[in-house]
Amino acid sequence: MAALAVGAFLLYPTAVPDDLTLGTLDVDEVFGASFVAEAKQYERFFYVLWALAQVALLFTLWIYSRRGAVLARESSAGPIGTGMLLGMLGLGIVWLVHLPFGVVAHWWRRRNEQSELSYLDWLFEDWAILGAQFLSICIALLVVMGLARRLNDHWWLPGAAVFVAIASLFTFVAPYLDFTTEPLRDKTLLAASDEYRSELGVGAIPIRVEEVSPDTDQANAYAYGLGPSRRVVFWDTMLLDPFSEDEQKVVLAHELAHHSQRHLPEGLGWFALFAIPGAWVLMRTTRRRGGMGAPEAVPLALLVVAIFQLATAPLANHISRRIEAEADWKALQVTEDPAALEGVMLGFSQTGLGDPDPPGWVQLMVGTHPALADRVAMARAFADRN
Amino acid sequence: MEPTPDDRGGALDLGAVDHRAIVVVHQNGSVESAEQLPVRLVVRDDLERTRLTVLFRLFLAIPVLVWVLLRGIAAFVVGFVNWLAVLVQGEVPDSLHDFVASYIRYATQVSAYVFLAANPYPWFRCQKDYPIDLEIDPPVRQGRWGGFFRLLLAIPALLLAAALGGGFASGSSSQGSATASRGGDEAFWFNVTSVGGVAAAAAFLAWFAILARKRAPRGLRDLVAFTLGYAAQAGSYLFLLTPRYPTSDPALAEPYSELPEHPVRMVVTDDLERPRLTVIFRLFLAIPHIVWILLWSIAVVLVAFVAWVAALITGRVPDALQRFLGAYIRYGTHLGAFIYLVGRRFPGFTGRAGSYGIDVEIDPAERQSRWRTLFRFFLAIPAFILAGALGGVALVIALLTWWYALATGRMPEGMRNLGASCLRYSAQTYAFALLVTSRYPYGGPILREAERVEETLARPPGTAPLVGDAF
Repeated sequence: MAALAVGAFLLYPTAVPDDLTLGTLDVDEVFGASFVAEAKQYERFFYVLWALAQVALLFTLWIYSRRGAVLARESSAGPIGTGMLLGMLGLGIVWLVHLPFGVVAHWWRRRNEQSELSYLDWLFEDWAILGAQFLSICIALLVVMGLARRLNDHWWLPGAAVFVAIASLFTFVAPYLDFTTEPLRDKTLLAASDEYRSELGVGAIPIRVEEVSPDTDQANAYAYGLGPSRRVVFWDTMLLDPFSEDEQKVVLAHELAHHSQRHLPEGLGWFALFAIPGAWVLMRTTRRRGGMGAPEAVPLALLVVAIFQLATAPLANHISRRIEAEADWKALQVTEDPAALEGVMLGFSQTGLGDPDPPGWVQLMVGTHPALADRVAMARAFADRN
Repeated sequence: MEPTPDDRGGALDLGAVDHRAIVVVHQNGSVESAEQLPVRLVVRDDLERTRLTVLFRLFLAIPVLVWVLLRGIAAFVVGFVNWLAVLVQGEVPDSLHDFVASYIRYATQVSAYVFLAANPYPWFRCQKDYPIDLEIDPPVRQGRWGGFFRLLLAIPALLLAAALGGGFASGSSSQGSATASRGGDEAFWFNVTSVGGVAAAAAFLAWFAILARKRAPRGLRDLVAFTLGYAAQAGSYLFLLTPRYPTSDPALAEPYSELPEHPVRMVVTDDLERPRLTVIFRLFLAIPHIVWILLWSIAVVLVAFVAWVAALITGRVPDALQRFLGAYIRYGTHLGAFIYLVGRRFPGFTGRAGSYGIDVEIDPAERQSRWRTLFRFFLAIPAFILAGALGGVALVIALLTWWYALATGRMPEGMRNLGASCLRYSAQTYAFALLVTSRYPYGGPILREAERVEETLARPPGTAPLVGDAF
């Protein structure tokens, strides 16, 4: 526990000044009253859907944890192979349960002109990801069950270590597995990238563009990779209207700041701090089913993991919001253009019909980024300071 | 798919048999034999062929192919009239039934000639006593609903018939022409092994064997005959000659086919239940196995090379390598069975003998001819061509039965057995290629070994042909 506390203490601080206070923002004035009303109505649907989906998920996994073990008879494999089967079937059931919610959500997006994907395209676009999830759960169960069968109740600490190692490996390798992006050709942005990298003190980082405009108007950008595999990726919608050149630059600075502030290694550190108690909880709760070495424990383990993720979501999201706020702050420092950051937030809300000021419980449970209103408030606070 | 009540489950009464080649545990008591089917294939062929007519077989067949096409147009028109007749009076008139039945018999005879399953020229009318012929029962009363939706209901059977590629349905391979028109060797091989269907691949291989030996390989002839029989059933069903849905059980070939002894044998002890949850995610559930077999295959390539060198030097594969390669073949069969829905359960990762309902028995290592070992890779190419075509059939079976199993929670027994037959050939092909055995894979479709294989017994020990009757 002490080690976890020390770890959290070391990872928690950010470059955002502690004395920074965000002023009160009149959301209706900044984003437009009618737009805010429309966005709130649009997002409210997803809030309800998310809550219902969580209830359905937990209920399904609860049923599966009680009855899923009988599906072991569908396996001719050994204990670990049978555990894999039960894990994959659990994942498949979760996918089936989420499917109607996904269909309804997609219908809502299409109705509000936030997606142009047909239902069939929508259904098939993420099959590769679903396949990767099936493989991931097999690898996870191979590690956990393999260790549990050798170390009994002591598997959780080495198990957590293996998971962190696997997560690190994936974070490092993921950019090399990307075949869907193209190098950025915008000379102005490339020149800005050189300038910002120099100011932020990071080495060469390729900037790439992902084409999403045929399917959506929503804009986004992200940073990923570790060390030599670090990348920044812009959705091509970010390079189109309504985003100006200055706004694109501030987004670029934000993503580069993720690398300069070592947010990805930091994220792995946080992952470790969650994985260790998570593995311990898993070990304790599955004991009565024979421990994680027994395939019969797998359905229960899925329920435990789902509950653990839900229970820790407020803390995990809080940490994520701090990290994003730090990237915003560094972007403001580098570009010295709070108006551009404010413009980006306006653009995000317009293109994604995003609620600028979502309810507190929504931010608590799913808010990985500060609310758009808070980000605008930070830009104004920066302007006031300078 | 075989949705009619009288075809679900045991298409043939193999009973709970325990033969050397296969143990088939049938799931229900419905008893039926090939003789009870309304459309029956009759094989009187003696395997003898005339080299000259075989050499130019496709060209010689052009006139009769044109004629069968013209008769086919007339049969389609009459088929439509049959459809109206079933809707109105629940039965096809005798004269119309005989006209279409005659067309299907003739198409089968022409196809047998084209695919080298028969030797005499079929000429321009349906011949009595042709070596490959059909017996078709007289018309019977049919349900109007079944008649009304006949075209729709026939689609699965026609898809399988197209994959088998025998006779009546082989003309539907339009994709093959498109592929071939792009040119190149790749398109050609794709055409031969996949889109052309099993019959085309078997005929392609038989053509070389016949030119060399003046005799059709028994296994290939039986395989082509089986595809013709299935296509005839599908055509008869489509044209409303019978309300009986086609059955694809390879046991239908038993009246004319035999399975010789082989060191690699299929053992089927699986049931026909298919829990829907494991069916709907079948391909995803196979992902860890696919990753594992890819990794295992790397090691197998290296081990097979070592085994090849050892067999060249000592004349036999070392026992440890034989066990390793045998486990790989068994595992591949288990995995194939799982993916294609031929097997019910999630397989293990080790290929342990007896661990799966669709299993392979492999004899211990035996002495092998060094010459045959030296050229093993090249000798295996024809078998891989046929295995590729049979793999296409297994894929079609998987696609069709996926829907069927989702709806009913069961696997049609005929399809399961045909899928097992395809996997048996694949396992024997890999066993031959990987030096687990020197016996060539046998192309005949049936799963159950004959109790007496005269040719094998008559042949002196150690003289099993390389490509020929053992094909």
